[in-house]
Amino acid sequence: MAAVLGLIIGVVVGIFIRPDIPIVLQPYLPIMVVAALDALLGAARSFFERSFSDRVFVISFISNVLTATLLVLLGNQLGVGSQLQTAVIVVLGIRIFSNVSSIRRFIFQS
Amino acid sequence: MIFNQEPHDLLSTMHKQHAHDKENDRMETGSFPVVRRRRRDGGGSDGSARTRFVTGLLITLLCAMLGFGYAIQLNNPTSSYEAMSEDELTRLISETSTQVQNLEQRKSELTSQLNALKAAADKQQEAARIAKENEETSGLLSGRLPARGQGVVISISQGQKTPVDAATLFQLIEELRNAGVEVMALNSVRVVTSTYVVDIKGGLQADGVALKPPYTVKAIGDPQNLQNAVNIAGGVGSRLKVKFGSNVRVSTPDTVIINEIRAPRTYTYAKTVE
Repeated sequence: MAAVLGLIIGVVVGIFIRPDIPIVLQPYLPIMVVAALDALLGAARSFFERSFSDRVFVISFISNVLTATLLVLLGNQLGVGSQLQTAVIVVLGIRIFSNVSSIRRFIFQS
Repeated sequence: MIFNQEPHDLLSTMHKQHAHDKENDRMETGSFPVVRRRRRDGGGSDGSARTRFVTGLLITLLCAMLGFGYAIQLNNPTSSYEAMSEDELTRLISETSTQVQNLEQRKSELTSQLNALKAAADKQQEAARIAKENEETSGLLSGRLPARGQGVVISISQGQKTPVDAATLFQLIEELRNAGVEVMALNSVRVVTSTYVVDIKGGLQADGVALKPPYTVKAIGDPQNLQNAVNIAGGVGSRLKVKFGSNVRVSTPDTVIINEIRAPRTYTYAKTVE
């Protein structure tokens, strides 16, 4: 409930305010969004598995975003930024798919 | 000492140790060695109402940040070069320069084509101009076109003593030709290269047209030269005055207009040399 509410508030604020994000942050924002999405879907899955924990969700959210960003940052510093970005996106995409599939399994079983 | 006292004990201890190691080294457990999580003794997740509220707020905040980032990324114009990586920019530059080269090549092709067309048009225009010039020149020469310009008008009255004869009139024409006349007309006859003057009964005839006195010769050319050619001492003018007793008057109007034309002659035998 809180998550859905937060999502709606965030999208509305983002659409109406339209801030200028700093250029330093610009390449990392899509990665951050995808990582957060992965965390959110993982939370949804655990919610359906009846093992949802607020604390775990918060920590996994933050650590997901931070890890993805730091990984891409590291890649940029090593000169393999775009490849590493692709790798992160691929891994997160796979996780998102597996999360979604297990959520679907829960929904259609009940 | 130990060896002496407990040889059996040592052997069994080693044996036990070996069995223990074997148990620990077993690999078919199906999982990595699990480090047991220390049990929390407070029972964290189902804590006080305040903790639950704070975590709920945190979740809301995080999800709001996610939605915020998503919305920003949606609105973000992706074509800003600042956010592009180095090799993307390199590719973009090389693509653009290739395109520029192609366009330059196309431009030079079109320019040369345009120049060629311009040159052709110029040549054609030049040819048309020359043709027009030739047409005018030959038209004036053959008497096909009327002419106007500076010149003299010579009027010769019928001689008091004897009628003016053809030879003298033709001499006048020749003198005028020598003086550089360009277009000439005798009474109503345009004088061309083939013009002749003959005596007939009761007057003169030029190119089959009877001439009646007074004779008027209109000539276009340098007025001074033409005037001199007629009025020179011992020339045609004095001969007309003295021998025939006719009145010769030379006037030099600003513009002499010769409207007399003649149909172009058709050549039967003569052909141009290619």
